[in-house]
Amino acid sequence: MIDYVMVVVGGVLLFVGAICDLLGALGMNRFPNFFVRLHAATVGTIGGAFYPLIGASLIAFGSEFLGFYKWFVGGCSLVSAFLILMLAPAGSHALARAAHKSKASEVTPKVVDHLEEDGGVS
Amino acid sequence: MKRELITALSLTATVLVVAYISTLGGGLGPLFSDTRPLAKVFLSTTLDPNKPMFTAMSPEGVTAIVWDYRGLDTLFETAVFYLAIIGAVAVYRDVSEKVVLKGGGVGLSKIVKLVTKLLIPMNIAIAISIALHGHLTPGGGFQAGAAMAVVPMILIVVFSRYFLLEVKISKGLALALRSIGLIGIAFTVFLPIIIALISGVNSYIMQNQVKFGAPFSFPAFFGDSLISGSLILYNLFELLAVTFGFSILFLLLSIEESLVKEQMGGEGSEH
Repeated sequence: MIDYVMVVVGGVLLFVGAICDLLGALGMNRFPNFFVRLHAATVGTIGGAFYPLIGASLIAFGSEFLGFYKWFVGGCSLVSAFLILMLAPAGSHALARAAHKSKASEVTPKVVDHLEEDGGVS
Repeated sequence: MKRELITALSLTATVLVVAYISTLGGGLGPLFSDTRPLAKVFLSTTLDPNKPMFTAMSPEGVTAIVWDYRGLDTLFETAVFYLAIIGAVAVYRDVSEKVVLKGGGVGLSKIVKLVTKLLIPMNIAIAISIALHGHLTPGGGFQAGAAMAVVPMILIVVFSRYFLLEVKISKGLALALRSIGLIGIAFTVFLPIIIALISGVNSYIMQNQVKFGAPFSFPAFFGDSLISGSLILYNLFELLAVTFGFSILFLLLSIEESLVKEQMGGEGSEH
């Protein structure tokens, strides 16, 4: 029973990941400036890579036919998911900070830019 | 519009073909279903104590082939790689690393630095485990070295070049450690001959297990764990050599361009 639940939840997470990837790809094409496109890219990495990896590990843990190897597959997926969760935000933060500091990208259309009002990146 | 359509269609076709091959590969015919005779020879001899003349005592066929069956080939491949690094060192020979901090060297923000600090111990552990498991699972010395070389590169990007100088990771240290790795490889190559000369039996260069007419053999087991004779030594020394070989390149390439021009430019050069 618990195995079946894990496989179903894993499948749902995979589906959510696919949708996040699609939305991220649409955003990369349609959004107007660098910073919101970066937002779309992180939707693609966290939503489109972290969720499916958790889902894959749940499916692996729930699959009895894999035998002993389900711990390898599931464990690798969990560790990769944790690393992506840790590294992707740091990477996009570094990109956004560098772009704002070097003024390589204009923030247009702009509603509000608190960082600029505070005097830019130190 | 037409071009985008072609791009989308070819991407879709690629994904479908790869998915088909990876899920139903056996249905594609002899290329994917048969094991070739040469492969059968290696698969049946890499870990078979009943064939002491042919075995490498390692369950990982690739490492057994690379460091045992065709070991000399790998040795000279390694030599080519290090000649390239020696070339880079020769080009930069006059450039001093002792640079003055001109308000630089602060690195990236606190967030990135913290994440990097968490990442680096994991990276080192992974690299060492790849090297120590090189004779059991896919991987080996070069792959482990490439994984380990990520550490100095990340340090240069995140903490800046000057941070590495502060913690005394310089080109000289990297060169020395790389040389220790290479000397270790050479030592392992000639170790069978030295031992055989002392004990009065025959042996070959780079010999691992017993061969015809040469009864010398590295121990295949250490206690209960399989160490595959010389393979674990080669993997460890290659890890050391490759790590610091790549580190030298990263250290040299990250020196400021204006500084290099200042020090290398001869008379009349404009900079």
